[in-house]
Amino acid sequence: MRVETFNPDKDYGTPASVSETLVTIEVDGVEVTVPDGTSVMRAAAQADINIPKLCATDSLESFGSCRLCAVQIEGHRGYPASCTTTVYDGMKVTTQNEKLGKLRRNVMELYISDHPLDCLTCPANGNCELQDMAGDVGLREVRYGYSGENHLDSEKDESNPYFSFDPSKCIVCSRCVRACEETQGTFALTIDGRGFDSKVSAGQNEAFMDSECVSCGACVQACPTSTLMEKSIIDMGQPEHSVITTCAYCGVGCSFKAEMKGDKVVNMVPYKGGDANHGHSCVKGRFAFGYATHKDRIKSPMIRNAINEPWQEVSWEEAYAFAAEKLKGIQAKYGRDSVGGITSSRCTNEEAYLVQKLVRTAFGNNNTDTCARVCHSPTGYGLKVTMGESAGTQNFDSVMKSDVIVVIGANPTDAHPVFGSMMRRRLREGAELIVADPRHIDLLKSPHLKKAQHLALKPGTNVALINAIAHVVVTEGLEDQAFVEKRCDMDSYNAWREFIKQDRHSPESVEAVTGVAAEAIRRAAITYAKAENGAIYYGLGVTEHSQGSTMVMGIANLAMATGNIGREGVGVNPLRGQNNVQGSCDMGSFPHELPGYQHVSNAEARAHFEQVWGVPIDDEPGLRIPNMFDSAIAGSFKALYVQGEDIAQSDPGTQHVETALRALECLIVQDLFLNETAKFAHVLLPGSSFLEKNGTFTNAERRINRVRKVMPAVAGKEDWEITMDLSNALGYPMHYNHPSEIMDEIASLTPTFTGVNYQRLDELGSIQWPCNDDNPVGMPTMHVDDFPIGKGRFSVTEYVATDEKTNSRFPLLLTTGRILSQYNVGAQTRRTNNQVWHDEDRLDLHPHDAEVRGIKEDDWVGITSRAGQTVLRARITDKVLPGVVYTTFHHPGSGANVITTDSSDWATNCPEYKVTAVQVERVSQPSEWQQNFRSFEALQLKLLQGKTQTQTEAEAK
Amino acid sequence: MSHNQLDSLIRMVNQIAANNGAYQTEEAAQRVASHIQRFWARSMKTLIMDYYHEGGEDLSPIARLAVAQLAQPKEAIS
Repeated sequence: MRVETFNPDKDYGTPASVSETLVTIEVDGVEVTVPDGTSVMRAAAQADINIPKLCATDSLESFGSCRLCAVQIEGHRGYPASCTTTVYDGMKVTTQNEKLGKLRRNVMELYISDHPLDCLTCPANGNCELQDMAGDVGLREVRYGYSGENHLDSEKDESNPYFSFDPSKCIVCSRCVRACEETQGTFALTIDGRGFDSKVSAGQNEAFMDSECVSCGACVQACPTSTLMEKSIIDMGQPEHSVITTCAYCGVGCSFKAEMKGDKVVNMVPYKGGDANHGHSCVKGRFAFGYATHKDRIKSPMIRNAINEPWQEVSWEEAYAFAAEKLKGIQAKYGRDSVGGITSSRCTNEEAYLVQKLVRTAFGNNNTDTCARVCHSPTGYGLKVTMGESAGTQNFDSVMKSDVIVVIGANPTDAHPVFGSMMRRRLREGAELIVADPRHIDLLKSPHLKKAQHLALKPGTNVALINAIAHVVVTEGLEDQAFVEKRCDMDSYNAWREFIKQDRHSPESVEAVTGVAAEAIRRAAITYAKAENGAIYYGLGVTEHSQGSTMVMGIANLAMATGNIGREGVGVNPLRGQNNVQGSCDMGSFPHELPGYQHVSNAEARAHFEQVWGVPIDDEPGLRIPNMFDSAIAGSFKALYVQGEDIAQSDPGTQHVETALRALECLIVQDLFLNETAKFAHVLLPGSSFLEKNGTFTNAERRINRVRKVMPAVAGKEDWEITMDLSNALGYPMHYNHPSEIMDEIASLTPTFTGVNYQRLDELGSIQWPCNDDNPVGMPTMHVDDFPIGKGRFSVTEYVATDEKTNSRFPLLLTTGRILSQYNVGAQTRRTNNQVWHDEDRLDLHPHDAEVRGIKEDDWVGITSRAGQTVLRARITDKVLPGVVYTTFHHPGSGANVITTDSSDWATNCPEYKVTAVQVERVSQPSEWQQNFRSFEALQLKLLQGKTQTQTEAEAK
Repeated sequence: MSHNQLDSLIRMVNQIAANNGAYQTEEAAQRVASHIQRFWARSMKTLIMDYYHEGGEDLSPIARLAVAQLAQPKEAIS
């Protein structure tokens, strides 16, 4: 007897059944036990009996069109398709005999009679299911000949930069169409025509690039022939080996097979065994990996004494010695606290850990911070205060058990596309959607979305809204009293309840503040509270506000009050922006916390680290990033080590940031490229991409995934090696042979990581922390029985309006965000073909706001705030509300952060990117900042080539 | 001392106080003080305490009470 097993490299033909009832059948005399509802094809595959197939693949529901998988079943007439026939107890199946062989050969003959016979020159040669099946069924002749009516002259569609569509090779199995529907949820493809004229069509018979296709690659992955084929494979041929690793884009943390030819990446294929993505991908992870070998990569360490001097290429040793001498000199002159470091959410856990360790040991202070400061620091604060752990409560799969999905300030289909697709699948199954967002996000346009509510609130009013929702829950008696009494601290609950039931929080009272009709708020509150499983997902539209932390606490309050914590389908789920935001926070990057969120004032925790690190640790918090900038301008902060972050582009108030960076006597930047920050640097240490190193990333569901090196580091060193070498040059010895040794040290010092090591990661594939003696394989759902702080704590969440208010001078509210094809500051995606989708940042404004200002589509418009001015081209759209304008920040010359202000979250200083009062008007030339930016950029590129400023100026003349 | 840096700190502490405004004054001030104790760097605490000792005229009432408490001996925060 055999039971269900799962090998991610095998195609079982149809999806697994989730039934707990087991059924035993006999396939070709072999007994197989599988869950009820399993297809005959999958059951046979479990016994390593592989029935020929073309239209079936286990990522898609069975379709039954190709007829190649016909079998015989005892007691049944005919030849049922094994993909669409489900098992029953005692079933006896025959998969191979003469009749079945003849039937399959007949089917294959028909397919091949209308298929080019160019196998030897076909890019799919060696990896073609049609070719394999022809071999499997023993096809030896095509009696119909090849001269009849056919599709061999069909025109190729080469419009997509990453894959081609060659209809002459299409067998119309519909796998691509179904993948677009079932896997991606976009419904961009269809079968056009009938019978012999049937053909796959993008949109309304459009080119792929003109259709709604989002280039996720699901169709390419599903195609059993070379009809949909990666251009990289067409150019380079089939890969010869592969390595499983983790995507370095968003916080979903998709697993990929890096398919290789020697040390060249041919293709990135989403890995079916990936616990976060289950074989799906988006356009960034799937295709946008070319930046790793882009000509702009910095390949040698460089130094200079001043930012108007040419860069000088030096050896690694010279660069370390130069940096160490500067840092030590500065500390000797200005004091121990005059230097600091910034870790990156784009780097690995091990790298973030080493940077904060270097700061706390070699620098001897706590001046370490991370880019999570500007995205999810309020999540860390708010969830720690209320539920005792700075992390989301669920795994991604949990959404498939949600009945009501609340999305607040997040745009999953653009920013977390693979999870967005999973969410859409659940919505198609009937879950109800509530979106709280000033913009009409694409999730609201999901095909086959059944029930949706959109609370289009004014930017900056989140807390008023969440309080009103909680008010309805309390005053309508919709709380889960049993949960609250058993699981929550009653003093905090009673204080919160008294606060929230006050009439000033009622939907009617806040209607004018939020701009959302009271009735809509009431309806949403009742929908969420009455759901069997209500889940909240949120993003930067929650955190990047002056009350980001308050809003996170408000969300946690609401989830606890309604008992939506501690089981699958519910929870509080922050959608982290970058790939390792969770990990960089876990690793002690914040200035007040050691790894594992252990406060620096905790003597017991400190002693533990001091024993292992061998130096005393400061018991006072260090400076946060904005405090570093202020201190630099004030003259007390003089040197900064930045690993893998571009603070000059990503942080708010660009002029302020630039002033701070210019004030530094030593700026050390470790990065792939000469990014905007590096233009102010004195030491440039060439970093390594995710393809060039070993380590781990931790995604938004606390899942620790392995990053595996697939090619040599372009500049010769992995980032952890550079930090280690710099520390040694500074006189604090570090020695690791491999990142696994760094993880072992992390595990020895971090209570939630004690069970994590590379061997276990390899065995389990991934681990969701906490992983320790109590949870040896990790914890998919948190807070099932209790909270790390014992009882959940409600927080009083007073709404305090932001200081960033509109008036007659600045009558519009600017909110910023991101789009699908670009990633964060764009350093990676701008150096790929993703540029074809978004080669400039635009300003979205409502038709009404455009009309009153005489602004037309594509006009250049000046956007002026209290902080500064920039100029972008206008895009007129009703996706934004009247009074609200929107832009992205993927291109440095756009200067989106020239206009964002220093307004920030009260608890964490996370910038208020989402609310800036602005005026918009037609202009005819770039802003003064943009003109300065262009000349500074030109100068820095010349200095990169080793030219002096004088030479550069002479050339300019 | 930079004016900008101090202005920033005054704004920060007043903002923390405003966000704890729903509590009774004494508890609010204690919460603000605790927050600063946990999250502010030593140099920032020194700057704001110096400002308080010089009069601290732009501190809100709760912020003023909170900064006054900072001078008291701190306890370890776990």
